[in-house]
Amino acid sequence: MSETEALETHLQELRRGTVVLACLRLLRRPGYGYGLLEELNARGFDTDANTLYPLLRRLEKQGHLTSEWNTDEARPRKFYRTSAAGSRLASALTEDLARVVAAIDALPEED
Amino acid sequence: MNATLTDRYIDAAMRTVPEKQRPDLSAELRASIGDQIDARTDAGEPHETAERAVLTELGDPDKLAAGYTDRPLHLIGPRYYLDWWRLLKLLLWIVPVCAAFGIALGQTLAGATFGEVVGTTVAGIIGVVVHLFFWVTLVFAILERSPGDGARKRNAQSKEEPWPQWTLDRLPEPRESGARLPDLIASLVFLVLGAAAILWDLLIGFVPGTDLSFLNPGLWPWWIAGLFVVMALEAVLAFLVYRAGRWTVGLAVANAVLAVVVAVPALWLLTQGLLLNPEFFPTLVPDDGAEVAQIIVVLTGFGIAVIALWDIIDAFLKARRAG
Repeated sequence: MSETEALETHLQELRRGTVVLACLRLLRRPGYGYGLLEELNARGFDTDANTLYPLLRRLEKQGHLTSEWNTDEARPRKFYRTSAAGSRLASALTEDLARVVAAIDALPEED
Repeated sequence: MNATLTDRYIDAAMRTVPEKQRPDLSAELRASIGDQIDARTDAGEPHETAERAVLTELGDPDKLAAGYTDRPLHLIGPRYYLDWWRLLKLLLWIVPVCAAFGIALGQTLAGATFGEVVGTTVAGIIGVVVHLFFWVTLVFAILERSPGDGARKRNAQSKEEPWPQWTLDRLPEPRESGARLPDLIASLVFLVLGAAAILWDLLIGFVPGTDLSFLNPGLWPWWIAGLFVVMALEAVLAFLVYRAGRWTVGLAVANAVLAVVVAVPALWLLTQGLLLNPEFFPTLVPDDGAEVAQIIVVLTGFGIAVIALWDIIDAFLKARRAG
């Protein structure tokens, strides 16, 4: 495995959970698949469509998101919104991430 | 109108999605694809290339569908892999050996030639191994896909396993070296009892009221004397193993030589009809004596071969463990 490949793999693992957290926090205001994808990428969460769409379904199935079809516009879209359980999950994840960041800051300095 | 690439993509993705989720999922997927295509055409791309680019980026529709429905994309995942492998190894140690023994014994009793026995046994072993792999793997693949599994898989703390969790108690015990004092005593007692049984059989007989021996009385005295010499050597070997404190490759080789020196002449005598007393069964079972004698000959032959083989392998295994 080359160095860049290894870096890619490790970065992917490091970021895996952060997309979930970002979705839960962004969807406090209702959003739909593609719009959310754009916003995530604009905010610096590199996400692919084929990971985001299944992720939204999973979070909905777990009860962390609720959904509703919006047929007002020409293209009907499924809008997701973070549920109460989702909010609690987001708080827990945010707290934990802050703890991890603090722990990393406390590590010995890099060369 | 011809189906568009998008239609075909959605059809392909929905094939493996459960019926009742299909309308909702396909509508959402269609909207998402439409949004993505629009974003590209708004930037000036022609519709056709935009559609191709978006669908290519979404990737294999079956993989996408698996993500939607939480279906595993592996036959046996990390949760079951070790249990699958342990069970398979255990069965592969036990079942083919038993099957080979049973097939060979059955074939021999049925009067098959040596070539037929070997051919049927080898074919049988191959069949048994293939079946073991297939059925064990099938059961675990179904387990991997059993209902409610998806929810549990995401919950890494779940204790709901179909079998007990691994605990420290399951660490393997240190193996017996086979070279302690109890092993030496057992070997010596076994040899003395064996020699006594042979003498008793030939001189007095185990069947009350007759002087019939199970072994051929013609083996006395020289064949039996030869056997006793080998048994004495085995006693010496047992003592050497005890003194060395462990089995070594050299001792295992010596053990193998002794086992062969006993088993090969015994099997030769058996096939020549010289090992067992030809009078024994015809006298005890007047009606079917010859047939019973034939079966006993085959069973004895297998018994001698299996015991010798096991004795040889066991010593080498202990030597390897100790080394």
